[in-house]
Amino acid sequence: MNIKVGMGSCGIAAGAGEIFDLLVKRAKNTDSGVTPVGCNGMCYLEPIVEVDGKMYTQVSEADVDDILSGIKPLHEAEQNQNRIALRNCGIINPENIDEYIEKGGYQPLNLTPEEVIEKVKASGLAGRGGAGFPTWFKWDACRKATCSSTASPCSDNKKYVICNADEGDPGAFMDRAILEGDPHSVLEGMLICAHAIGRGAPSGNSSLRDGALVEGIIYVRAEYPLVIKRLEIAIIQARERGFLGNQFDIKIKAGAGAFVCGEETALIASLEGERGMPRLKPPFPAEKGFWGKPSNINNVETFANVPWIMQNSGKAANTKVFALTGKIAKGGLVEVPMGCTIKDVVFNIGGGIQGGKNFKAVQLGGPSGGCIPASLQDTKIDYKSLAETGAIMGSGGMVVMDESSCMVDMARYFLDFTCKESCGKCAHCRVGNRRLLDILERICNGSGKDGDIELLEELSEEIKAGSLCALGQTAPNPVLTTLRYFKNEYEDHIKNKKCTAKSCKKLLTYSIDLNKCKKCNLCVKKCAANAITDFVINDEKCTKCGFCESLCKFEAVTVN
Amino acid sequence: MTIDNVQLTIMKARKQVKININNQEILTEQGKTILQIAQEAGIEIPTLCHDERVEIFGSCGICTVEIAGSPRLFRACSTFAADGMVINTDSERVHRNRKSVLELLLSDHTGDCKAPCVLACPAETDCQGYVKLIADGDFDGARELIMQTNPFPASIGRVCPHPCEEACRRELVEESIAIASLKYFAVENSTTPPPMAALLQGGELRVGIIGGGPGGLTAAYFLRRKGHDVTVYDAMPEPGGMLRYGIPEYRLPKAVLQKEIDMIKNMGVEIKSNANVILSDVHGKYDAVIIAVGAWVSASMRCKGEELPHVFGGIDFLREQPEIRGKTVAVVGGGNTAMDACRTAVRLGAERVYNIYRRTRAEMPAEKQEIAEAEEEGVIFKFLTNPLEISEKSIKLQIMQLGEPDASGRRAPVAVGGAEEILDVDIVISAIGQKLNPSGLEALELTKWGTIKADPDTFCTNLQGVYAIGDAVNDGAGIAITAIGQARKAAETVHAFLAGRGVPDAPFNSRYLAKTEKTSEDFADREKQLRAKMPHRCANERRGDFKEVNLGLTREQAQKEAARCLDCGCADFHECKLIRYANQYDVRPEKYEGLISKKTKNSPIPNVAQSPDKCILCGLCVRLCEEEIKAGVLGFVGRGFDTQVKPAGDLNVCENCGKCAEVCPTGALIINNE
Repeated sequence: MNIKVGMGSCGIAAGAGEIFDLLVKRAKNTDSGVTPVGCNGMCYLEPIVEVDGKMYTQVSEADVDDILSGIKPLHEAEQNQNRIALRNCGIINPENIDEYIEKGGYQPLNLTPEEVIEKVKASGLAGRGGAGFPTWFKWDACRKATCSSTASPCSDNKKYVICNADEGDPGAFMDRAILEGDPHSVLEGMLICAHAIGRGAPSGNSSLRDGALVEGIIYVRAEYPLVIKRLEIAIIQARERGFLGNQFDIKIKAGAGAFVCGEETALIASLEGERGMPRLKPPFPAEKGFWGKPSNINNVETFANVPWIMQNSGKAANTKVFALTGKIAKGGLVEVPMGCTIKDVVFNIGGGIQGGKNFKAVQLGGPSGGCIPASLQDTKIDYKSLAETGAIMGSGGMVVMDESSCMVDMARYFLDFTCKESCGKCAHCRVGNRRLLDILERICNGSGKDGDIELLEELSEEIKAGSLCALGQTAPNPVLTTLRYFKNEYEDHIKNKKCTAKSCKKLLTYSIDLNKCKKCNLCVKKCAANAITDFVINDEKCTKCGFCESLCKFEAVTVN
Repeated sequence: MTIDNVQLTIMKARKQVKININNQEILTEQGKTILQIAQEAGIEIPTLCHDERVEIFGSCGICTVEIAGSPRLFRACSTFAADGMVINTDSERVHRNRKSVLELLLSDHTGDCKAPCVLACPAETDCQGYVKLIADGDFDGARELIMQTNPFPASIGRVCPHPCEEACRRELVEESIAIASLKYFAVENSTTPPPMAALLQGGELRVGIIGGGPGGLTAAYFLRRKGHDVTVYDAMPEPGGMLRYGIPEYRLPKAVLQKEIDMIKNMGVEIKSNANVILSDVHGKYDAVIIAVGAWVSASMRCKGEELPHVFGGIDFLREQPEIRGKTVAVVGGGNTAMDACRTAVRLGAERVYNIYRRTRAEMPAEKQEIAEAEEEGVIFKFLTNPLEISEKSIKLQIMQLGEPDASGRRAPVAVGGAEEILDVDIVISAIGQKLNPSGLEALELTKWGTIKADPDTFCTNLQGVYAIGDAVNDGAGIAITAIGQARKAAETVHAFLAGRGVPDAPFNSRYLAKTEKTSEDFADREKQLRAKMPHRCANERRGDFKEVNLGLTREQAQKEAARCLDCGCADFHECKLIRYANQYDVRPEKYEGLISKKTKNSPIPNVAQSPDKCILCGLCVRLCEEEIKAGVLGFVGRGFDTQVKPAGDLNVCENCGKCAEVCPTGALIINNE
């Protein structure tokens, strides 16, 4: 038997480590092999054990013997997806380079740099980190950039390939899954990129004739220790096989967890040991990047696509990985073809909403993105269609919301995140976004004023126009899109001091319906704030924790 | 994100370029930013974070401009000009974005642009500034600073009821600074004669002023300084107005006043005394006319017998000083004129002087010092009494009590039914207020209080080219420094009018200024030091003559007193770019009122005073210290909204160059001269 255990961070958190150890122990004297693999995307079913293509889900230690004795699988693997970036995740052992090579990895690249760039262009690959900038264009610009064309003089002809693995959007874990499940796909993508931007031209353009010395760096957040471990193993193995080390080598740099360091100029500053603060572009990193040298920065998922593109000449790399979270029934990682709809993802792949509640909206692109309401669920997932709704493709976070989600509070949540993660450099982002948050907080607290909606709109427009980097420029998006689709909720909060989703605590009042109350005294005893006397809730003392409501067996506690 | 044409153009821009800024074609060499080109062409683009000595940073975001072909805004400091660019630096869109940055920055910029004393002074005298100069021993400098806004420092230092001291924050520690006494001191202790202000060339335009009191003469002083030809018509034998005829010699010696008037005369202002002119005599004969006739009619007490010959108006009594030796005098009223009348009566040899006031001592509008000195000199206070009827040898008083507070906030006096008192008196003086005599001013629109109606900022009247100031306008009789303040503003209006520029910019107190509220807790760490007491002649000695009562502070007293100042106002006000832009862009930061960022105390930087609450994080200090000085003493600490500039590096490498303070666009870092 060929036994695979999902050993991504998600699987390990669900207990896959213990299952793996037990399986190894029990299978010791059999002909069965047990391998750790990365996350296959079905995080909601972890721990997952796959035996000869059949899947056991939510496995406990008690299930191990059943699995070894071959009892019917508990769950069939669903393959409603079209996997490119995640092609090997959950399938191969990420700590074994042979398995990657077996799947077609590290094939000799018999292409000139120009041909590589042409292929990337033909595939339509766009930056998967969120902005969707054409990848070939960056590569081409970096290839053509020479030290003499940059502003700062330099003695050596050096370039850098940098992989941005500073994944920080709340609810996003695409990059982590790829690096944990298939690190070599990213290393190979970087290797191909290094060839494209640095290899000398056989003739023609004199500035490109000699080629450049290219170094690779992976900037990964320190909160991803398993990623760092697997990358270290993968780099050592790739060096042993001679893929890395001679002409091109890769280092890992662990970032200290600042969200803004995902912005490429801030990332470069951080790499240089400076405070992670974005700078103005141009000059773009392709001209003047790390240590002033031409540098190409791509996201993890972008690089993971590249080896596939080289192997599948002519095919379009038209999928996107999403991390499905929130009120979705089947949360996890999915890779879907461009052009499928929000509805397909939420209902066909994600299994709809938890607990049978109504689907309300999705937030795409995390704090930089926007919400798309259920009424627009037929929106196609492609850069253009999503942009028309006011949202963005983003790096792949998809937070699903149901009727119990307050959209004002959602905007407040994301603004709170951006304010905490702002580097503090430019005025519009540092103060402007804080002022947006001030306004949202007062609306959620029931102190919203007439004119607040207009002020939010006016200030958002100025922040977008005036902020220095994408973090600030996109921070008002959650506010603007919720205002666009859910203005009535804002008005309800401001004018009627009412939160229809019953989520903003300051706007709720709890009361006991004495017609239904059986005077069992349970709520009185359990109320931590001692707010209930004689079956009346004292609104002053009540902390709106909702515990009484959840306790009452007679549904006598009502919330308004 | 897609590349628009403008960005592509920028990336390719590497040769000589021709660009268009605000419809002006400019040819310039490659590699320059829009900001540089605009500056060279004399087009102002505001910036708070850019300096040629350091690398482009782009933190303030105020230098935004529009470039045709792109819907976005671009930072002029970092956008390199490309051939054919069409740039608008002053569109409505640009204006709105700049205004938003300024409002956001100001919403988290806490401090006081101006000290409370300065804001309280009707003439905007830089009290904090001259107090500081006195503390430093520069008395000539202090006088010169006062004279920027007031040509009567010696007189006003003696008579001003000093609203500045009421506003003084030192009160939150123990007692306010003796600002007025310090002004008096500065003039008395200046070592040089009052310098004559420099006169600008001009003089072709002529201004006629009716009234030679503090208002009229101040207007003359400021207009003469601008080079205009000024003639002052005064009805009295000597100029000075109420300062001469309404303030007794023992408070303001005539010689002190005369010296200040002489200075104005020496500047070339023509003063015609005993000149009973009316508006029609001068209107049309001058390019502009200022009415500063004051309020010389004593208000009526509305009681029987008021018309009797032994009843005087307060200011008439002070002016005429009739023979009253051995007589009993009753002075009605609780203001400074009433106190002046009481004390003058004492000096003229009155046997007994009563003060009749319908409320109590606490409600008296006169200065506390004046009341105390009058009492020392033997004046008998009859509080809670009001005249009912005056007869030849007596005055009948109604006994009053205090009721509910009235519109002024003071408790209103209410008659106690049937309670009366009769005092035997020979002379009655009514000092309950003064009114304008409007005869000869019929062409001017009056207010419902019978004063001339004048615009409170520009002092324009209903007649073009005619301005009105002082006790004659709006709220009526007030204090001299108010007339002086109005005179300076009116002079600015007249100057602008004569120069054909219409109405000048509004004076600063109608513009935006950052202000804070303080409580005594904010000054809990201050050591308590009592206020300096003005030395004065003893009561027995002074009641017999008209010699000046106050003797002036000693040098030690004055310097020690001045050193008590809390330096509330921003020392950088006149250099502050933030406040300059704020008023250019007509900001309303209060709409972004919200959380204030947390700033922790910084370790000291040699020779530099730090006010982190005023920092706008432009980063110039950090960058200059690192890139130009190569010291790297300063750094950014913290994240997001609570980011702060702090001495983060090794202070031992600080070169004490002060460049960080020099480059700071606000008062967050200033050179500390102490």
